[in-house]
Amino acid sequence: MAGHGGSDNRSLRQIAWQRLKRDKVAMVSGVVVALLILAAILAPLLTKWFGYPPTEYHQDLVDPSTRLPFKDPENPYDEFGYAITDPWGGISSDHWLGVEPTTGRDLLSRLLHGAQISLLVAFLSTLVCVGLGTVLGIIAGYKGGWVDTLISRAMDIFLAFPLMLFAIALVGVIPDGLLGLTGNGLRIGVIVFIIGFFNWPYIARIVRGQTLSLREREFVEAARSLGAGNRHILVKEILPNLITPILVYSTLLIPTNILFEAALSFLGVGINPPTPSWGKMLSEAIPFYQNGPYFVVFPGLAIFITVLAFNLFGDGLRDAFDPKTSD
Amino acid sequence: MLTYILRRLGAGLLLLAIVTMVTFWIFYVLPRWAGVTPEGMAAMYVGKAPTPEALAATVERLGLDQPIAGQFYDFIRTLLLGTEYTFGRQTVECAAPCLGYSFSTNTPVLEQIVSRLPVTMSLAAGAAVIWVVGGVAVGVLSAVKKGSIFDRIAMSLALVGVSLPIYFTGLLSLAFLVHNWNLFPVPRYVPLTEDPIAWVQVMILPWVTLAFLHAAQYARQTRAGMLETLGEDYIRTARAKGLSERRVIFKHALRPTLTPIVTIFGLDLGLVLGGAILTETTFSLNGIGKYAIDAIVSKDLPVILGVTLMGAFFIVLCNLIVDLLYPVVDPRVRIAK
Amino acid sequence: MRKRTLGFVALGAAASIFLSACGGGDSTGGDGGGEGAGFNAAENSVVNASDQTGGTLRYAIQDDFDSVDPGDTYYGFSWNFSRYYARTLLAYNPEPGENATDLVPDTAAGMPEPNEDFTEWTVEIKEGLKYEDGSEITAQDIKYGIIRGDFNGGSLVHGPSYFAQKLDADPDFNVYESSDPLGEFDAIETPDDHTLVFHLKESFSEFPNILIMPQTAPVPVDADTGALYQQHVMSSGPYKFDGDYEPGVKLHLVRNEEWDAESDPIRTALPDRVEVEIGVNQDEIDERLVNGELDVDLGGTGVGPAMHSRLAGDESERPNIDNLYSGALRYVNIHTPVIEDVACRQAIMYAANRDSMHRAWGGELGGDIATNLIPPQIPGSDPESDLYPSEDNKGDLDSAREKLEECGEEDGFETVIAAREGREKDVDTAEALQNALAEVGIEASIELYPASDFYGQYAGSQDFVRENNIGLSVSGWIPDWPTGYGFAQAITDGRAIVETGNYNMAELDDPEINELWDRSMQTEDPDERADIYAKIDTLVMEQAAILPVIFDRAMFYRSPELTNVYFQPGYAMYDYMALGVDRG
Repeated sequence: MAGHGGSDNRSLRQIAWQRLKRDKVAMVSGVVVALLILAAILAPLLTKWFGYPPTEYHQDLVDPSTRLPFKDPENPYDEFGYAITDPWGGISSDHWLGVEPTTGRDLLSRLLHGAQISLLVAFLSTLVCVGLGTVLGIIAGYKGGWVDTLISRAMDIFLAFPLMLFAIALVGVIPDGLLGLTGNGLRIGVIVFIIGFFNWPYIARIVRGQTLSLREREFVEAARSLGAGNRHILVKEILPNLITPILVYSTLLIPTNILFEAALSFLGVGINPPTPSWGKMLSEAIPFYQNGPYFVVFPGLAIFITVLAFNLFGDGLRDAFDPKTSD
Repeated sequence: MLTYILRRLGAGLLLLAIVTMVTFWIFYVLPRWAGVTPEGMAAMYVGKAPTPEALAATVERLGLDQPIAGQFYDFIRTLLLGTEYTFGRQTVECAAPCLGYSFSTNTPVLEQIVSRLPVTMSLAAGAAVIWVVGGVAVGVLSAVKKGSIFDRIAMSLALVGVSLPIYFTGLLSLAFLVHNWNLFPVPRYVPLTEDPIAWVQVMILPWVTLAFLHAAQYARQTRAGMLETLGEDYIRTARAKGLSERRVIFKHALRPTLTPIVTIFGLDLGLVLGGAILTETTFSLNGIGKYAIDAIVSKDLPVILGVTLMGAFFIVLCNLIVDLLYPVVDPRVRIAK
Repeated sequence: MRKRTLGFVALGAAASIFLSACGGGDSTGGDGGGEGAGFNAAENSVVNASDQTGGTLRYAIQDDFDSVDPGDTYYGFSWNFSRYYARTLLAYNPEPGENATDLVPDTAAGMPEPNEDFTEWTVEIKEGLKYEDGSEITAQDIKYGIIRGDFNGGSLVHGPSYFAQKLDADPDFNVYESSDPLGEFDAIETPDDHTLVFHLKESFSEFPNILIMPQTAPVPVDADTGALYQQHVMSSGPYKFDGDYEPGVKLHLVRNEEWDAESDPIRTALPDRVEVEIGVNQDEIDERLVNGELDVDLGGTGVGPAMHSRLAGDESERPNIDNLYSGALRYVNIHTPVIEDVACRQAIMYAANRDSMHRAWGGELGGDIATNLIPPQIPGSDPESDLYPSEDNKGDLDSAREKLEECGEEDGFETVIAAREGREKDVDTAEALQNALAEVGIEASIELYPASDFYGQYAGSQDFVRENNIGLSVSGWIPDWPTGYGFAQAITDGRAIVETGNYNMAELDDPEINELWDRSMQTEDPDERADIYAKIDTLVMEQAAILPVIFDRAMFYRSPELTNVYFQPGYAMYDYMALGVDRG
């Protein structure tokens, strides 16, 4: 997985890039990923220009008793007075994916804004994870000895913690105003912290393993014999070779974190309303699965497609850099 | 060998101690830092409209106004030596190891955990068997038949498996397979000893739901590992020597492929034994995971500590067993210094 | 608004009325399965009346009992259910309709007699009542049951504290530390084995309402194991524990042979067994109910939103549905210490879009838009009264803006709405309110807090409210007994305000209102009391301390295999004591 030497690095990257370009599935998912990120960033603008704000109610489109959208808002009730509801959420030219139950908020708009949250949390927590994991992994792998043992034990400890339990508990307990954050900012901070802080061993283990094997390579020996200091070696020789595995595993970590945030929202410890979050929308949707399946399908698809795209792209990256595992 | 085991046990105990301390810190100390008063904490365990006397009495009974070090010391001492509790006019003994009494239900925590253990163990064991056997088998087959239709379909399904939230698949399968189409019975746990057939019938859906996610991961990883191993020189040598493909795969390639799988399995099994929270909640199974969630919501501190400790214990245990099994799986590995 | 008769007249006739309703009227026994009896049939009649005995009655519930110890529980479903194994001094009349909340004697031999100023009450109990082990139930046991509930040094903390509040006794008395608890506690006298005399601190004309509480169940002194008593309660009712109560898991009951049916006007004890399964998801419970895998949802708050939505749209299920008042008022507190100027609060009352909040609760089926404080079934309630009217109940933004000018905040202000996490309807209400207030410049952010600590540490904590600028909080309230006092005193009386665990979250402390509460307790005539309650209602609305949202209805699914189903408004759910099963 590592490069064969400092100077060979760039040519390996070029080779990998070529392989990636040939992998159609990976390229398509890469494009999807890019589009998703773009959509998430531009969400406020998009909804301002083309759609409705995510918090705007349209209750005239929704039946109060069943809470579901009408099939035809002009003729909402049948001859017995029962609402004629639309299992597809009242999709129309106005509302491309229909409206939410009860409130009538535009679903597409809420999904876009939810993308912001999901991706933001996933990226930030992955960043924390990778940052911590890389630093600790390198130190453990390079220094060896008791430092390595200490960090490895620490990894064991962190892996032994029941992450879900702690996430739920911490969210309930963190005081408002910590580090100057309040409300949803605080929530996001806590979730990012938990995911990142408790997941670093996954990255660290890989980094450590790579560092260990890199340490013994000739080019490092060579650099050392030329009188290069440790820091120089770490930064100039080892780190560049770690970038590829880090990149690959980060890309595979992001979808896991998206799912984790969705699970937290599902269990009720996510973001506060009215900010939309995919996990929360999914949990609110499950009760309507029979009569309003659209509300389950669309957020479910959103999560699924996003996670799938990241997974496929990550797979593609990994295969590009290490053809032994590819098709 | 013996020294190795002892050292690992020692490390395991240290791990348990640290986990306990961190849990304690999160649930007992952090609220204090956030400015919650002992009365505020006690308000959790009293009814809807407590008198000030009841509140004060609860603070005292549960030791909520003690300094943190004192509370922790009490916990450790109770754990190692046992203690006595007074209910009404009588005293009840709680023998070591004593995890205390639940703040919410006044029942002994250890007893409660043990009574829920069979459910979680059934769930974990059944799912583990399915995901290991299924995941590895599919992974091996996919690697061997790389590029075939089977491979593509299997890997696509695996990708779906790791891309869907577990509660989503669980709830949908519950809704359709149990309630709409009546293909499976309502998930009411039946102990294995009571009625093995019913036990299987009830647990199949939770097993498959839980296993799906892990099986997908294992399939992907086994496939990747197997492909990598199959590309090694010694495999090429074995093939050149004229060994049958089946021998090559099962005798030479499988074991090293399994080594990382076994590591992960140890961790995964440990985690699931500690309580598969999402699955248990989705299927209303009264296992440790559900017990844990209920305890967190009601801030039932002794139960939270007890469950966390139990979870960490399982992780340590499983990791130890896995490490001991390494030489069996891969004879090249010797127990390191 | 029904006129209530003087409910304190002995209604031994109630027993015969009930039994005759059983025998005559609807189909008897036989055809258990089959079509539903009709929408809301259980409101005013006994559905599927039958005296067929036998079978196992299956209950399930999502969240566990707070306690199955009758002396230590404070939930309606638990009060209802515990009557299987705990007989109380008085009970609700087992007759559907208008008179359902009249009081009848259970262990008492007749209704309690007050003295001149309602500070002393005397009641006789029946002779020959026995526990499950054959020993006799005495007045001393009932006295003990009452005092252990409220005077226990913190051993039992879940139950209501009315006895502690009303009895003329030292609040620090502790039954477990006294060597002679019965002898030393003289606020209740037992001149003989079958008489009790209660001495109250002050006049309390509605005292008999407290005697229906399970704390009046008899408990033998020797059997009392404090917080462990709930593992196996000594039964005085038609059923006893089968094995121990397993918290979070189950509770099973079997017949108690020592129970005397003749002495018991309120229980039919038809099933042979009663089984409760604990910890099942609400959605799962609903599915099992509709599929016939379960008989009753013990929680008694109706089906969850998933099933509600399904049933609401399904014409064929209407005959199996009872959509009845939960007895509750859902409302938003307006915290007076945070939003101090009454005009600012009145602005909120005007700006609120009641129609939108109504939809959060399910519109028509969900209940009635509330414009006053006291729920409609309680004497003194005037649902027509609306001090902040608006067209279609969508809010009167102009008046709101006028009020904002009046209080000097014409550009609006910032505040926080607190709501309970996981309570979807509460959260939806908060969102609807936030939306409406934004129209007049009031920027309300929503904060969700854990439901279990909501009153203890968050919206019910005076410090927390002030520190976090919580001006509004979404809440609900059910009466402990169906009178104005039983409903509204705890949430509007200034003397009820406490530091944490506070239910008068608006912190309303108006001397005029407080004085009216006192006066009601000295008034003998229930109609006069009703007038006082009506006055209090209006004053609270004028103070804009409470923004009423809805008198909600709960949708119950009535299994066709249940017999003798009728709605008891005192508990706002089916009377569990009447139920039987017919699997035919």
